[in-house]
Amino acid sequence: MTDQTPVIEIRNLVRRYGRTDAVDGLNLRVQPGRCYGFFGRNGAGKTTTIKCLLNLLRPTRGEARVFGLDPARDEVAVKSRLSYVPDAVAFYPWMTVRQTLDYCASFRTRWNDDTEKALLSQFRLDVGQKASHLSKGQRTQVALIAAICPEPDLLVLDEPTSGLDPIVRREFIQTVIGAYQDGDPGRRTVFVSTHLISEFEGLIDEFTIIDRGKDVLTLDADTARERYQKIHARFPTEPAGVDLGGARVLRAQGRDLEIIVNGNSASVLQALRARSPESLTTEALTLEEIFVSTLQPTGSVA
Amino acid sequence: MRFLINFKSGKAVYQQLVDQVKVAAAAGSLQAGEPLPGIRPLAEELRLNRNTVAKAYTELENQGVIETIAGKGCFIRDAGNSPFRKDVRRKLLAESLDEVVVHAHHLQISREEFLQLAEDRFDALELKRARASTSSHP
Repeated sequence: MTDQTPVIEIRNLVRRYGRTDAVDGLNLRVQPGRCYGFFGRNGAGKTTTIKCLLNLLRPTRGEARVFGLDPARDEVAVKSRLSYVPDAVAFYPWMTVRQTLDYCASFRTRWNDDTEKALLSQFRLDVGQKASHLSKGQRTQVALIAAICPEPDLLVLDEPTSGLDPIVRREFIQTVIGAYQDGDPGRRTVFVSTHLISEFEGLIDEFTIIDRGKDVLTLDADTARERYQKIHARFPTEPAGVDLGGARVLRAQGRDLEIIVNGNSASVLQALRARSPESLTTEALTLEEIFVSTLQPTGSVA
Repeated sequence: MRFLINFKSGKAVYQQLVDQVKVAAAAGSLQAGEPLPGIRPLAEELRLNRNTVAKAYTELENQGVIETIAGKGCFIRDAGNSPFRKDVRRKLLAESLDEVVVHAHHLQISREEFLQLAEDRFDALELKRARASTSSHP
């Protein structure tokens, strides 16, 4: 897997707006066939990074490569193999859904009519409807259909679910990514930026958390859930001086102790057991909890 | 069958799928020859990445729990028809048992208690299988 050319490779990327470093030394690498999450708060630099991948912005320093190519030099070669859905979708208001899809298809060498038909009926979209009359959810649905019908090697989604109601969100992200990856799973790569992480919990193979323009954590999702554990212990008397091995303390009140460990749960558990707790439970953190825990300042209560 | 994914268990998601199919097959709620759901429908239902489901199915196939018939899908294999030789099967089980024995040691469960517990668990599984087979022939 590692001998393949990464679909996306970003090295020390810097992009400055005036005096602000929107992206400030970012590194990440996406292998083919993965569903890759790009998590960050609003303003963390997600959209700027994506724009550098699409040659909508030039990097101030560093490199962004897509399919091993420079998006600025080989713009057509890069863009013909990817689809991009921005957070705010705009269509020509006078076109119908049918005309919009035909218009999008006219720029593409391939267009899967079966996929188009299946998704139009699944989303119950009326192809005669004018784009100006579509709801925000429907506009996003049309944009997603237009994005996957050309069967690109890379699907870039920027905050695809923000501003949509929860029912629409749950349903269609799954449907669209499922339909997209079904065709040729080994080659179909998804790169999705979002701050609504719980929506993507089961979909993400690997992720990078970006904060203030820097990658602060990159992990495989299963590894992340294995490594980050929340431990809750209750002692017969207030515990003092337990070596928590640098764990983050969420709560230390009287006889209760709640901490988050990162990778060293075995040794911390051993230290806690030595104090004969009345109860001791562990649970993995979800990706969203890992995100919050990573970005919160490490001021511990203890 | 119904799958239950728990992101808080700390166990890899594909492994949860593998374990649940194996439990269901052992307990008789999935019978030999019964089909598993397709990769995409199951991924959609559980809101998982298809890679995760595909990985689970590959693992189940490697372990001889299911077989893939080209163009038809994945089916539960007859447990009496394991692709592994007996000594290999014994070795695989011994590895899992070692872990449980160590676990028992740390929980201060004696050998006698442990063996009794193993008997009980076998009985429980057989009871489940018996119930599953009567309910599948109404």
